[in-house]
Amino acid sequence: MTSLKHKGSLLKFYVWLPILVLYISVLNEFDLNYLNLKYFSFNFPFILIFFFTLKDFKYFDYFLVFIAGLFNDTVIGLPLGISSLSFLLICISTAYIRNITIRPNPLKDWFYFLFVISLINSLNYSLLTLFFSYNLILMSYLVNTFFTFLFYIIFVSLFKYYLKGLND
Amino acid sequence: MASSRDDFIIAIRSAFLKKSTQQKFSLLTLVSISIIIIVLSNFNFKAVKYLKIGISEIVYRSSFIVSIPENFIKNSFETIIDYTTFYEKYKNNELELESLKSNYVSNEITQYENKELKELINDYVSSSDKILAKIIVDHDSPFLKSIIINKGSKDEIKIGTNIYDQSYLVGRVIEVNYKTSRVLLLSDLNSNVPVTIAPQNIQAIVTGSGEKHGQIKYFQSGISEEIKDESIVYTSGTGAIFKSGVPIGKLQSFADESLNRYKVKFYSDFSQLKYVFAEIVTKTEIIQVDTNTDNNDINPLDAKLKILEDELSIIEESNKKFLAENENLKNQINDLNYKVLNLNNEISSQNQTINQFNLDTAELEFLRLNLNHGHKCRKSFLNNKGFEIGSAEYKNCVLNKGKIDD
Repeated sequence: MTSLKHKGSLLKFYVWLPILVLYISVLNEFDLNYLNLKYFSFNFPFILIFFFTLKDFKYFDYFLVFIAGLFNDTVIGLPLGISSLSFLLICISTAYIRNITIRPNPLKDWFYFLFVISLINSLNYSLLTLFFSYNLILMSYLVNTFFTFLFYIIFVSLFKYYLKGLND
Repeated sequence: MASSRDDFIIAIRSAFLKKSTQQKFSLLTLVSISIIIIVLSNFNFKAVKYLKIGISEIVYRSSFIVSIPENFIKNSFETIIDYTTFYEKYKNNELELESLKSNYVSNEITQYENKELKELINDYVSSSDKILAKIIVDHDSPFLKSIIINKGSKDEIKIGTNIYDQSYLVGRVIEVNYKTSRVLLLSDLNSNVPVTIAPQNIQAIVTGSGEKHGQIKYFQSGISEEIKDESIVYTSGTGAIFKSGVPIGKLQSFADESLNRYKVKFYSDFSQLKYVFAEIVTKTEIIQVDTNTDNNDINPLDAKLKILEDELSIIEESNKKFLAENENLKNQINDLNYKVLNLNNEISSQNQTINQFNLDTAELEFLRLNLNHGHKCRKSFLNNKGFEIGSAEYKNCVLNKGKIDD
């Protein structure tokens, strides 16, 4: 990784990689839906945003997260601003937990993540059904929350490798 | 207790307001903007609408490019599966094709009839033009079932434009941008289509289920017994949102039949769509040609006279035709008589020839016998019983081969 520091453009690409992955994931709707498992889906942007904002990764700009939310709404077909709000609520919750935590614990973070995404998905569901009269399947949201929670631990281990590579 | 509340407030305030060195905006600002956008989009605020159209134009194209690797893997996987089931599918298709061919002709006739009848009952003719559209974004979202096509207001796509896969209904346009549009699929929970179930002729509404099939809803109670599996579901055209008579799918009952719930198996597989047809409908009013309006100023007597004159001219015309026909027939009769006369002459001439031939034959026979037996019949010094040459007795004697009757 020492060699990376000498290669400016490559390093730039490496540090901006999380944001790039976030944009790719919102544009591509990466959720393995084509596996055709009933209700199966997970929200990769939630995991990504939660992890990197929790780590206070300085290249993970809130404004870019906000824009990614607008893109996500456009791709999915939701009213503009819903995903932005969801993403920013994750940012707020991670900023809060960062402020109150002295000794970080991965397990606590994991369950805190479950609490946050449950809250956000509930808010999403309520907003869409009450204010925008959308017909939605509640089960899809529950399953999505559950699998996002499960996949968190897998992706976190990958992201840790990424951060380790950057620190080295 | 008070200190913990203070800590919480401090932490929250810090989370909302504190900016890191790299952050350009505080979270509070961005959250406020998000809420403003949500509220304004709920009221269909124009600025938000244009913002969305602008973002859509960029995002849909970007999404298409970003999805290329994933789509490539997905398509490769599907191709492999297709190859493994290729022969089986081919055989099934062959059978289906035979059956479809036989139905095609009668369908075409029905379509023509239908068009004629529609022209009779409507005051306008709707001519439709289907344009091919490519699906640029097809993310099978678990929440909303929609696709993005590469045709927009530039190509005269409007909100509500019907979208087809071949001749099967796929959905309708719910959002139009300049070069792109979003199509709400029939499988989406928010999709409601008025349909007719054939052959029972039951009116119902098909709603999406969020899965690959639709559900039958809102049909009249008490007629659920009449509904059978494999009944055909097609659009009824009620509400004029969808064109009537467009096939959607076939009916299938759920495993638990006691619920009296039916699902619709769509003819089209929405996950396999690559291209669709958007129907651009243009309505042209029929110009009613009212023949009475021209004659309104003419009085009834003149009108009657005109009718009689017309009748007279028709009769004269037909008389002329009869006369010409008569003349023609007379000429034909003369020709035939002439032909008969000629034939009679020919027959008499042929009879004469035959008679002459018969005479010549008898004379020849007499001369032949005369050579052989003439000496027996001729009167001479040695034959007193003979006859004079040229007499009738002589002739008889020669014809009797020289035998003289006493």
